[in-house]
Amino acid sequence: MVEKIRSPAELEKLRSEIIARRDPKKRIITACASTGCSALGARKVIESLKEEVKKRGLVGQVGVKEDEVEVKETGCLGFCELGPRVIVYPEEVPYFRVKPEDTPEIVSETVVKGKIVERLLYADPTTGEKARKLEDIPFYKHQLRLLLKNNALIDPKKVEDYIALGGYGALSKVLFQMAPEQVIEEIKKSNLRGRGGGGFPTGRKWETTRNAPGEPKYVLVNCDEGDPGAFMDRALMEGNPHSVLEGLMIGSYAMGANEGFIYVREEYPLTVENITTAIKQAEDCGLLGGNIMGSGFNFRVNVHRGAGAFVSGESSALMAAIEGEVGEPRPKYIHMAVKGLWEKPSCLNNVETWANVPLIILNGAGWFRDMGTKNSSGTKIFSLVGKVNNTGLVEVLMGITLRDLIFKIGGGIRGGKRFKAVQTGGPSGGFIPEKYLDLHIDFDELTKVGSMMGSGGVIVMDEDTCIVDVTRYYVDFLSKESCGKCVPCREGLRQILNIFKRICSGLGEEGDFENLEDLSELLKEASLCALGTTATNPVVTSLTHFRGEYEAHIREKRCPAKVCRALVAYYIQPEKCQACMKCSRSCPVDAIIGDKDTIHVIDQEKCIRCGACYEECQFNAIEKISPPTPPPPRRGIKVIRKKKRE
Amino acid sequence: MTEEQRSILSRIQKDANLSKTEILLKGLELLSEYYSLGLDTPPLSLELKRLEGEAVHHAEALKRIRRREDALKEMIRELHDIDEIVNRCGGPNALIQILLDIQKQFGWISKLAVMWISKRLGVPFSSIYQIATFYKVFSLTPKGRHRVRACLGTACHIRGGPRVMERIERLLGIGDGDVTPEGKFGLERVNCLGCCALGPVMVVNDDYYGNVKPTEVGKILSKYG
Repeated sequence: MVEKIRSPAELEKLRSEIIARRDPKKRIITACASTGCSALGARKVIESLKEEVKKRGLVGQVGVKEDEVEVKETGCLGFCELGPRVIVYPEEVPYFRVKPEDTPEIVSETVVKGKIVERLLYADPTTGEKARKLEDIPFYKHQLRLLLKNNALIDPKKVEDYIALGGYGALSKVLFQMAPEQVIEEIKKSNLRGRGGGGFPTGRKWETTRNAPGEPKYVLVNCDEGDPGAFMDRALMEGNPHSVLEGLMIGSYAMGANEGFIYVREEYPLTVENITTAIKQAEDCGLLGGNIMGSGFNFRVNVHRGAGAFVSGESSALMAAIEGEVGEPRPKYIHMAVKGLWEKPSCLNNVETWANVPLIILNGAGWFRDMGTKNSSGTKIFSLVGKVNNTGLVEVLMGITLRDLIFKIGGGIRGGKRFKAVQTGGPSGGFIPEKYLDLHIDFDELTKVGSMMGSGGVIVMDEDTCIVDVTRYYVDFLSKESCGKCVPCREGLRQILNIFKRICSGLGEEGDFENLEDLSELLKEASLCALGTTATNPVVTSLTHFRGEYEAHIREKRCPAKVCRALVAYYIQPEKCQACMKCSRSCPVDAIIGDKDTIHVIDQEKCIRCGACYEECQFNAIEKISPPTPPPPRRGIKVIRKKKRE
Repeated sequence: MTEEQRSILSRIQKDANLSKTEILLKGLELLSEYYSLGLDTPPLSLELKRLEGEAVHHAEALKRIRRREDALKEMIRELHDIDEIVNRCGGPNALIQILLDIQKQFGWISKLAVMWISKRLGVPFSSIYQIATFYKVFSLTPKGRHRVRACLGTACHIRGGPRVMERIERLLGIGDGDVTPEGKFGLERVNCLGCCALGPVMVVNDDYYGNVKPTEVGKILSKYG
């Protein structure tokens, strides 16, 4: 292990040593080892890559020796859709959807001979053009990756990788060349705003904590990414944990804190593992702990695992959870920055906010302020998910339009369907309809249309998504996650959910609109914390922009997107059915009548509308109909089989 | 052995018709006594041996004592494990961390564990219970051998997560939070696993499956014997 670093000069020395030790021509195969790619089998790919490299080195038949090739496990690059992802350096050839059986070819062709394996490259779905560099892929071309860039180059379990890329340089600059007030001034000038969703100016928050009376002070990282549909914090923390640590330390120095907490949700086991390793390594290097880099500044950091409660991402609830209490919010008459953890001044920032700090210190406040829009500087990471072609994490300049985000980077809607709405900010955000697609995304613009930035989840919905159903989903989620401390949120959400359940099961009534609107207003005014006050954003925005869908559910008892189960029936089209029996075998309740030569018919009385037959049918003979009144069944029609195509 | 402990033991002996849980709880009382006296390894087995000798001509009594001994041994083992976790994590502030580790190691949080932690940390039983029921990760009933999680986060929801969940429910014959009768599978619905780009996602133990079609569920589950 490396020696403890005792001065900035030693850090620089170590950095140049690490760089000098590296042969720029050395071939490095990096493979994504984060949760997303692992779900697609990355572990096996990495194992077999290592195996392959080892085998070749041992055999010695080729010109490349084992120690000249390195297989590196790195963090998430965002394009999870096409995982597992492998990049071969120094040519930077990106391969996607790599399977273990592809690895011999990667090693023998690209690593040894420097040839590209064409079939593993990304092919543009429209032109078929292959991308030999990451930047050639439209998904990456329109991004500006400042925070996520290094995820491709860093093994999160190795501090040397981070140091080699200039890591901890900002910390050394702050500790030896800047006074705490200067640091805060710099952050204030940079116009950095909290990336957790609220968009509160970070510099001002820091200043409040610094000036607040009381010792000790605490700094905290919020990595309780409970917002379903968002995973940027996971990617950052998992892929580049040291950048967050460095930002945290800079903040603690500026605010005069000596202890920090990192709150990570338990659902991210790999994130917990990586940040714990990172802390250990930073401590071993003398970059964390007592007398950091010989500056006399001490800082200790603890990892606190959350135990699965959405509301615990709220600042006061999070602090209660760290204190070992039930993670419920408390009234915030006094801001947490003044009286937070154990009643002491505490500064809580989101993962992404902290990760931005070292960049601002190194590049200057002006550099950061000039990016993005007037009131929202810098970049923002979004998790672009739902019914788009390219799903994954994208980092873009603030002020990009929704249209560019969804159609240029996201590659448009899947399966050529029609765009319906986009939902930002998770359960607390709102639906944005097509007419606002040219909206420039920043904190203020999104608020103007009734949504919010939130942590950055962007969920795209197409014509097959039922807005009423998704709203019901959000209300259901929030009513389960409501801690129950204040009545408006606890009871209000329950009542709203009841109304939605009725609407979705075809029992909607005329007065429901007014009731929903009234309840929404009440929750907004009277709830204790942001969970309640923003809970009805999806309800209000969907009522405004998609009233027609509600009307169809309530008045015509039909679900235009054919999602709500009670309002849909399955029907076998006699002219398409090939009487293959596949659907009847898959039916869990034996509701499909028919045998080998007779067209099948669904017994609507028995049918539970599970959709199993719909998924099984190879001839697209089964259709969903809404309202659920299929034509009367005609039984016993003999099948006229189509000839099998060659 | 103090007079008091002897009396506790004989009390257990007397109330031979106790149910298993009651014996466990009695045993816990007993062990707490030992703990408060600072005796690390109670000479419990010795005492039980003696009782065994006395009861040798009463076959039934012997069986009961053996069962009790096994249960107590099991319990001591569990308490030792819990002790280790408590020592590793620290004081009352780390309560949630302690519970998380216990949940991870044992798959659930038993009444015994709650009582023991309460004793060790000096935190009221009710407070621990409050935390264990507030957070979703904790379970106060045993989980199945294989932990099946279906993600129903927003991204998974709009890409067919509910249908996957439904298929799992139907195949296993259990609902959210339940365990199959033979204890093989436990099913949970979770809100987001951070693999949103791969929705719908299901996880069995630590194996993630992305882009799951409802028709594939049976195949995935059959991998786990």
